[in-house]
Amino acid sequence: MLDTLAFILIVLPFIAAVGCYFLRAEGLRTPIILATSALLVVAFLLLLGQAPVTYSPETLLGIPIRELIQVADFLLLFLILYFGVRHKSALIMGFAALQLGMLAYLEFGLSTHEYGHPTFYIDNLALVMVAIITLVGCAIAIHAVPYMKAHEEHLHLAKSRQPQFFFILILFLGAMNGLVLTNDISFFYFFWEITTVCSFLLIGHDRTEIATRNAVRALWMNSLGGVGLLAAILWFYASLGTLDIQQIIAASPTTAYMMIPLALLCFGAFTKAAQVPFQSWLLGAMVAPTPVSAMLHSSTMVKAGVYAVVRFAPAFADTYLGLAVAFCGAFTFLATAALAIGQSNGKKILAYSTISNLGLIVACAGIGTPAALTAAMLIIIFHAVSKGLLFLCVGTIEQKIGSRDIEDMRGIYTTMPVTAIISVLAVVTMILPPFGMLLGKWMAIESAASNIIVIIMLALGSALTVVYWARWAGGMMSMPFGDKVEKETQPVLTRWPLVGLIAGAVVVSVAAPWMYSSLVAPALGGAEPYAVTGGSFGNVAGTFAVVPFFIVIALAFVFAVMAMRKTPVTPAGMPYMSGIQTGDARGYIGPMNKRVDVQISNYYLGALFGEDKMTRWVNGGAIGLIALMFVMGGLL
Amino acid sequence: MEAILLALAGLILAPLAGGLISGIDRKLTARFQGRVGPPIVQAFYDAAKLWGKETTVANPWITFCSWIYLVAAAASVVLFFLQSDLLFIFFVQAVGAVFLVIGALSVPSPYSQIGAQRELLQILAYEPLLILVIAGIYMTTGSFKIEAVFAYERPLLLELPLLFVVLGYALTIKLRKSPFDISGSHHAHQEIVRGVYTEYTGRNLALVEIAHWYETILILGFCALFWATNWIGIAILLLITYMLEIVVDNVSARLSWRWMLGSVWVGGLCLSAVNLAWVYFA
Repeated sequence: MLDTLAFILIVLPFIAAVGCYFLRAEGLRTPIILATSALLVVAFLLLLGQAPVTYSPETLLGIPIRELIQVADFLLLFLILYFGVRHKSALIMGFAALQLGMLAYLEFGLSTHEYGHPTFYIDNLALVMVAIITLVGCAIAIHAVPYMKAHEEHLHLAKSRQPQFFFILILFLGAMNGLVLTNDISFFYFFWEITTVCSFLLIGHDRTEIATRNAVRALWMNSLGGVGLLAAILWFYASLGTLDIQQIIAASPTTAYMMIPLALLCFGAFTKAAQVPFQSWLLGAMVAPTPVSAMLHSSTMVKAGVYAVVRFAPAFADTYLGLAVAFCGAFTFLATAALAIGQSNGKKILAYSTISNLGLIVACAGIGTPAALTAAMLIIIFHAVSKGLLFLCVGTIEQKIGSRDIEDMRGIYTTMPVTAIISVLAVVTMILPPFGMLLGKWMAIESAASNIIVIIMLALGSALTVVYWARWAGGMMSMPFGDKVEKETQPVLTRWPLVGLIAGAVVVSVAAPWMYSSLVAPALGGAEPYAVTGGSFGNVAGTFAVVPFFIVIALAFVFAVMAMRKTPVTPAGMPYMSGIQTGDARGYIGPMNKRVDVQISNYYLGALFGEDKMTRWVNGGAIGLIALMFVMGGLL
Repeated sequence: MEAILLALAGLILAPLAGGLISGIDRKLTARFQGRVGPPIVQAFYDAAKLWGKETTVANPWITFCSWIYLVAAAASVVLFFLQSDLLFIFFVQAVGAVFLVIGALSVPSPYSQIGAQRELLQILAYEPLLILVIAGIYMTTGSFKIEAVFAYERPLLLELPLLFVVLGYALTIKLRKSPFDISGSHHAHQEIVRGVYTEYTGRNLALVEIAHWYETILILGFCALFWATNWIGIAILLLITYMLEIVVDNVSARLSWRWMLGSVWVGGLCLSAVNLAWVYFA
């Protein structure tokens, strides 16, 4: 059973990816993607009952797995080196060469090649990750089918590049599953590097000058992170003599100087999770087709970064390193929320929001109490669903209106009512209770409340978050007076993922108490930070009534919709313009009997929150905090 | 049973009290200005008249937003009466605050739009302060629940004096009282007319007014927690606080949002940090 499930989750996507690459016909590709998605979801559901369990396969299709991974590791690094040479990037070449040297030293110098530990360790934290990789990842892959078709029609390519695209996109899912399921840190490193290469290829997919430039930046930053991770692995192996992640976590708190490799590991995770000052690679990633952004931001890549921090959090719980990690995360949360205020580019707002939420997850991992780790895991889940959905919404809107600027999305309700309502709901799931993100934020703030510096940063960041989301949602619902709402038609494979994800976002939010009891709490090693009664979370310090408030809001929603239906829209209800009405609500008759057109726009407060003003300070502060992390990890 | 009675009390008595406070506020303000002023129950007359008006809106979604605003405001007060979690209550009231803004943004009237943008800045100003006040209460009592505040043997004001000042500051911003009536004034003669309220008309405006009464009670409830050891203490503290509020409202001119944000980020955060550090190390 486990054999089959692990094979489907990790190896099948690789096979399906090869299928997508060689069977170039669209009529074959779509069924492959749909079937792979279905199998992945089924495999995840069957895996649910199995955890916690370990699993150590010896061979894959007759080839010894360990040797396979070791060889593939070197090949992968040579591939990165090749990309460095091709794009003349000294940084990539340098980091790849450094990793090659370190890996060679590990394999041929240090390693005794005796491995007794389980290769895979499937616990509930891994299951949480597999859940978002399979469910959200597959929804995005399916949405990508019609999207990429339209995308290429728009570009007028002579030869379709979709086979390459889906090759990497599907392979990504397998690599992510491998990354979260493995218990061997050298395997972890292998899958980590695959995700680095995949994101490089996906970001550069459109082969424009800017796409290539941003892909190269993503590759060098993530290679730097790879150096950090590999250095940590070397240190772990040199002092503990094991590659077993569980053993490393168990032994770290009692072994001298272990906080330095843990700080290195966190550093690597920060690059992958695009924490400041490494945010620029993820911001650059938005040049790629929207499914790529959706994938990188929600279920893969950046989530690998926060997964690493959460996975190793017990190793540095209650240490100065943990405190420093919490500072770094909270600072990212605050700084990127502020940066998002200054943006009108929808995808950039989403990108900053992702980084900000990842910062919150990192902060929770740094705080490290069971309640905080619960918050981290719940935010990982809810953020994946809502953010994946929001990217798909923006992509769908962009293909229709040809812009990703939120000012151009004003009144989108009149032309795309279904997508607009789904988008607004998705925004609401990000910022308001009783939805899961807020539940996670509630847990995060309550866990952080006795740390004055962290709580101030979280309080400020939380308010900033409300501002940049609320104005976007409001704008989308605006309707120039008297306009007819058009009927919206979309391809089935576009509509279904949107509807499925919004339904999923609502359902997982309602089901949060049960998801906590059955999925999240068992990952905490026996701790029970919250008791669930009557659909509410509670402990000594606080209570959050998820289901009761859901019922209230659901009733209010139905009632408000009924009240809305009854409201007549008559000419007397024209928007107030302080002039003579023209009848079209886009202007009024002003002085000298002249028509004055109304122009409206959000406040972006460029003087305070502009990228040009803030980024330098933010990066400086972040570098200082990371330095502090190494100092606090190493010396205290 | 007791819980149901408390919830009903919150649901029914709070808006009555909120409306009366609004009436008293207007009466006192009028007396300060040498006018007679409207009767104390004028707020209810106003709401009743608005309710009876034919509702005409520029975008039906604004009706939706008004109802959600009211339900969220009422829910937050009910939760307060049930002595629930302060942070949860705060998040529930945020639902209302956000939908008020979304409603205002859904109509392309420039006044409503600017009002909404400014209201977002007000949210940006008061939210961090309120979260820090709640954090301070947690650090003192060891819980976010209101019942823990009532179980605490000393008045919180003695431990959190600076945070009480911060709360007063946040209260003024939240209730849009001068000098922070930036996003919408009680008087329709400022440069953005009624700002965020401009497009709320008829029955919708009545709903918004009632929601505002609930919010007034919620904020005063937060203030009451600072002398929760006995009812006389609560009464005196609320009386002094609200009187000060009315005086400040009358003697100050409206400030710009820059000043509001600047003073919050510098003054408010410093006061909070000092008080939190004091509790932490004491």
